[in-house]
Amino acid sequence: MSPIAIVFKKEMLEILRDRRTLFAIGFAALASPIVLTVISQVATRSATQTYLVGYSGDVPAGLDILMNSTGLSLRPVSDPAAAAKKQVDIGLSFTPSGVDEYYDPTRSSAQIAQVRLQSVLGTYDAAKVAATLQQKGIDPGVLHPLPVTVHPLSSPVKAAGNAFLSFFLPYILITMCMTGGLSAALDASAGERERKTLESLLLTPAPRTQLLVGKILAVSTVSFLAAAVAIGSILFALQRLKLGSGGLDLHIGLSPLAATVMVWLAILLAASFSSLTIALGTLARSFRQGQAYVTPLYFITIFPASVVLFIPDFNPNLAYYLIPILNAVLVLRDAIVHSSVAWPALGVTTASLVATGALSWYAALRLFTREALLVKS
Amino acid sequence: MIRPGIPAAVKVDRLEKTLGKNHVLRGISFEAAAGEIFGLLGPNGAGKTTTLRVVCTLLAPDRGSVDILGFNTRLAPQEVRRRVGVVTAEIGVYPRLSARENVSYFAELSGVVEGDLNKKVDAVIERLDMGEFSKQRAESLSSGQKQKVAIARAIVHDPPVLMFDEPTSNLDVLASREIREFMVESKGRGKCVIFSTHVLHDAERLCDRVTIIHRGQVVASGPTAEVRGNYVDLEDSFMHLVGAA
Repeated sequence: MSPIAIVFKKEMLEILRDRRTLFAIGFAALASPIVLTVISQVATRSATQTYLVGYSGDVPAGLDILMNSTGLSLRPVSDPAAAAKKQVDIGLSFTPSGVDEYYDPTRSSAQIAQVRLQSVLGTYDAAKVAATLQQKGIDPGVLHPLPVTVHPLSSPVKAAGNAFLSFFLPYILITMCMTGGLSAALDASAGERERKTLESLLLTPAPRTQLLVGKILAVSTVSFLAAAVAIGSILFALQRLKLGSGGLDLHIGLSPLAATVMVWLAILLAASFSSLTIALGTLARSFRQGQAYVTPLYFITIFPASVVLFIPDFNPNLAYYLIPILNAVLVLRDAIVHSSVAWPALGVTTASLVATGALSWYAALRLFTREALLVKS
Repeated sequence: MIRPGIPAAVKVDRLEKTLGKNHVLRGISFEAAAGEIFGLLGPNGAGKTTTLRVVCTLLAPDRGSVDILGFNTRLAPQEVRRRVGVVTAEIGVYPRLSARENVSYFAELSGVVEGDLNKKVDAVIERLDMGEFSKQRAESLSSGQKQKVAIARAIVHDPPVLMFDEPTSNLDVLASREIREFMVESKGRGKCVIFSTHVLHDAERLCDRVTIIHRGQVVASGPTAEVRGNYVDLEDSFMHLVGAA
């Protein structure tokens, strides 16, 4: 057996016996589905919740029926403006000339009630106008001189699901590729110095490059598995969740192309992060010091993952795909949303991540073979 | 000097090493032969550990040379590592592996072929009387048991040169005694044993020849009795030599 395989086998055995790493993977498998279930419950409750509308004056005929059917419950109050501050979600004062609306935008319940009310009032206005025109013998169709029939080329529900995945999955993929193997990486690097096993390891005739490759392979495997478990559990949960008042069944899933791209990116990211965290861990004299060195990395990696959230239509030129992590986010977003891959972008992304991994590996090797590693320990 | 006609297993020639701003080794030379216990003596900070680290290829010398059984540490470090086993005071083991797994790991990395692996590991476990705890995880072992694991992993590939760097400094009386007995037994098996220590009483009882170093320089070298000279013991002789240096 080659030294790479010997080190890989031993590191995997230690990792599988390490409660910290197993906890990280188990947490990854459970946390996201639990969060999604809670979001689903909250969303369903918000959709079915009835909001209070305080009013004064005479409610126009028919409007009360429309409001009740959309979860807006009318309650008479003496001062709608005062009541809308706390007592009810929205206040209406019906006057002969129209209606005055009062709501507090800082209250989320008031915002939701306001959106529903605007929809109800729009429907009511359209119905009243149509009835008046019909009474006068005019076809209500005159209000729509250019009737539009919409033909979505793909399911709007699926599109909404893909938009959600295009942010959520890259975020989870990057987070898990980094944090899933973090404990194992620090254990394999800083841990060797802390428990005084490094000297004995370096005394073996096995080439140091191969010792390091064995460690990086083991940590990469754990990172990849953590990411795969987390994403698999999310997709499993999304298949079974229903959102909205009608129990909207999203049936969110990945296309085979998107899944393939994600696996490829997960391998590249896991290898790059593993090399980088082992390099940083090699600088540290203890596990705790290693954690301090690696923590800033977490914030650096999360920033590019957030770009898609804040700039959904970000369509950069090819040069942007040279930026590690951001490139993976963009490629994965396109694969999920459009079920297609821009091959030049994927090529540049692959080259960029391979180069990042190679540089990190070289840095780890230089650090792993320097004399100060032993002298200062 | 080694007795005429006996080849040197370890030959250290005018070794110099600077770590940071410290000129730690200033021309250390000595030779050790197979079938003897050679003492590398000196107070803490004299340069004993640095010398051993250079000898076993962990550190590169700035000047001078080291040859182990004809292999130069600069030119053939891997061949040197195949031929040495090192036991240090720092008995670090992999806590989540059993004692046996710890030993097997180092045996495989030291080039023990798969067909011989179990046989060699079993042999070393029996030799060091580790059977009782060989399947226990290392995290639950006592210091003495961990030291046995450290010795086992250093000798499992049956190296002709064994180096012990302050091996008893963290051990109790019984465990220390076992280590000393093991060194004597290894000498009987024809191994070249280099014993680095500041406990001169131990060295006097065990070593055939000694080299005393102080501030990175050799201050005395030769058969133990010769170095002791007319003093009461090696410690007295050492105090005299250090005072003179």
